[in-house]
Amino acid sequence: MIPASTPITGSYDYSEVARSVFIAVAASYVALDLAGRVAVASGRARLAWWIGGSAAMGIGIWEMHLKGMLALHLPVPQEYHWPTLLAALLIAALASGVALYVSCLHKMGPVKAFTGCVTMGGGIAGLHYTCMAAMRLPAVTRFSPALVALSILLAILFSLIALLMAFGLRGETRWSVPRRLGSALVMGAAISAMHYTGMAAARFFPAPPPDLSQALSISPLANNGIAIVTFMVILTAIATSSVDRRAGVEIQRINRELERRVAERTLQLEAANQSLRNEILERERAEEDLRQSKDRLRLVIDTLPALVWSKLPDGSADFLNQRFREYTGLSEEQGLAWGWMRNAFHPEDRAEDEWRAAFATGEPFEKEARLRRVDGVYRWFLLRAAPLRDDQGHVVKWYGTTTDIEDRKRAEEALLEVQGKLAHVNRTQAMGELAAAIAHEVNQPLTAIVTNANFSLRQLKGATPLNLDELQAAIAEIVNDGTRASAVISRIRGLLMKETPRTAQLDVNEVVREVIALLRNELTRHRIHLRTELAASLPRMRGDPVQLQQVLINLIMNSVEAIRASTELKRKLSIRSVANADGILIQIQDSGPGVAPEQADRIFEPFFTTKPDGIGMGLSISRSIVESHGGRLWAVAGSSGALFEFTLPAED
Amino acid sequence: MTEAAPIVFVVDDDPSVRRAIKRLIGSVGLQVELLESAPEFLQAKHSDVPSCLVLDIRLPGISGLDFQRELAQANIHIPIIFVTAHGDIPMTVRAMKAGAVEFLTKPFRDQDLLDAVHVALERDRTRRQEDAELASLRKRLESLTPREREVLPLVVSGLPNKQIAAEIGTSEPTVKVHRSQLMRKMGANSLAKLVRLAEKIGIPGNTP
Repeated sequence: MIPASTPITGSYDYSEVARSVFIAVAASYVALDLAGRVAVASGRARLAWWIGGSAAMGIGIWEMHLKGMLALHLPVPQEYHWPTLLAALLIAALASGVALYVSCLHKMGPVKAFTGCVTMGGGIAGLHYTCMAAMRLPAVTRFSPALVALSILLAILFSLIALLMAFGLRGETRWSVPRRLGSALVMGAAISAMHYTGMAAARFFPAPPPDLSQALSISPLANNGIAIVTFMVILTAIATSSVDRRAGVEIQRINRELERRVAERTLQLEAANQSLRNEILERERAEEDLRQSKDRLRLVIDTLPALVWSKLPDGSADFLNQRFREYTGLSEEQGLAWGWMRNAFHPEDRAEDEWRAAFATGEPFEKEARLRRVDGVYRWFLLRAAPLRDDQGHVVKWYGTTTDIEDRKRAEEALLEVQGKLAHVNRTQAMGELAAAIAHEVNQPLTAIVTNANFSLRQLKGATPLNLDELQAAIAEIVNDGTRASAVISRIRGLLMKETPRTAQLDVNEVVREVIALLRNELTRHRIHLRTELAASLPRMRGDPVQLQQVLINLIMNSVEAIRASTELKRKLSIRSVANADGILIQIQDSGPGVAPEQADRIFEPFFTTKPDGIGMGLSISRSIVESHGGRLWAVAGSSGALFEFTLPAED
Repeated sequence: MTEAAPIVFVVDDDPSVRRAIKRLIGSVGLQVELLESAPEFLQAKHSDVPSCLVLDIRLPGISGLDFQRELAQANIHIPIIFVTAHGDIPMTVRAMKAGAVEFLTKPFRDQDLLDAVHVALERDRTRRQEDAELASLRKRLESLTPREREVLPLVVSGLPNKQIAAEIGTSEPTVKVHRSQLMRKMGANSLAKLVRLAEKIGIPGNTP
């Protein structure tokens, strides 16, 4: 028996010590490794890692202590109270949990670090001494207070170091594993140092055998079994952690890739967005420009010193500029559609059919009409219309202007009047001169005739001494002078008929049209309404177009003068051409007083005239011309105006 | 006046008309001279017999009216009868103002022309008579002595002999002699006749 006052000396199995240190290092590594896992995980995964990590680390530390105690061989049988051992395991796990929690905080202030290391250190110390308390051996354990305090201080100090290390090693870097290994070595050594300091604080003194209820002896087999289980737990934790880390790394890589792509896509989207924004801006600017240019155009159109409009293909208006509305005093509704014509034109110019026909041609055109000003005054305007066509050439719209030509029109009329007067003066003067010439020419033989005749009469009456020779001579001269007078008239006629005829093949209708064109002003000036009915297909004929024009001019001018002299309200002249058995028949009819039946033939005699300033040659010459063409000219007597007809033979 | 047969000059560019007029006027016993143009008339020999001119207004070269003016300027006072084929009122007025006897339109009535010719010849005859009288009067005036010519206007003015004597600075009997001499030379048998004659030759009657 060993005396109670002498401490029992034991010996350490150093291979067991080495194993315990190894387990401490492994557990430390697990702790550091899992701290990284917990730090990067979140939610339930974080909780699972925390619990798993706390368990693995707790088991590791617990086993290290158990191993450390089993490494001490005492000369007395050693048994362990297993509920106490389980409690120690629980303490180890709790302390590990606290340590993991603290090391995984986002920020670790001094208070939290202090609390964490005290809790952890306290926990480890608690675990150590609880394990000691689970020992059942026939001895009394006495502790050296200084060493106990030292061991607790070491536990707290090492806990602090471990926490800081774990905190620093949370992130995954290339050097994580070696650095973690280094840290694990330091921590393992520290935990072992604390343990063995704690063991050194205990002295065993012999005592009666303890209560061995619920105590069991740990055989080397069990010892190794626990170690192996512990080691497997640690390995499992490391493996799981490693897989998870890899997965994490992969996820991180994928994440990074994803983020890169997202960033790339975002960049692209932003670029697209920017270009879209630019495009929108551009479009807004373009729209603004368009609006401004529209406004400008509208302003130009409204302020142009002209009446501007646009019309639909049929001629109904769909736009009238402001000037148009102001000038006519029409509202938009009054002027649109056909209102521009129905409500603003002079009643005589409201020929809707003609206007529709003009628009229907689809060709640009000009027309004149009188437009009512807002004050009721009518002025002449020139309407100019030009079509806008689509690709197929259909008229889409008409655009045009209406321009005031009143002044021009007045000037034209005045000019026409002056021209007319001048022409009349010229004509009258020419007529006067011609008449004087004719009078002189014809009067000379007539004077001689009359004088000779008077002389003869005197002789025959016996008023003067009879001189038969002189009487005979006088009568002979009368005959001569009569012939001479006739020759004078023929000569004058020849003079008026001008040159010898130059014949050509011609279309009589064409001659008629030319004459109408020549006399259009004359007809307009005297407000004579001309109506022409020209046969569509006339046989061609040979003739002198100038002479035939002269015939037509003579006949038409006679009609014009007759109409002027007439008080008849209707001032009409109609010209017809028809094909008949003789060839071609031309009729010229007027609304003048007409030809008296007894004059119907006399009017063709030379010097016969019914006009105050006429010389009576026109019809005579006209008849000569027609007859020289192989035709006939006559007047149809009647009450309703004069009707002159002439025929011309068709070419064989 | 049987001493000279009057002559009718006819100027017309138409020979037929000229001949017919000559025939007509000749049939009443008048002598007719036919001329084709105005210059021909000017060159013709004009004997001192009553005459007149039948003139066509429309003449080659010069118009009848202008010729009328030329004649007046040349102091040829032959009465003119105008004939024209185509006259108008202004033309007629101008011709008559310039002293034409008649203005006839061709063809004219034979009697109208003959009447006009007679009027014209009568007018020419009268003029010639007056011209002759004036000429003899001038001759008589020239036969007066300078003293008698001095006395004449004073006598015509109706001054008594005494006053005339005082005027010219001589005696009353001398004036009496001058007076009877000039009365005789002038062919005036009374003072009234002398006054008339003096008037004709333009001697002023009243004291200047």
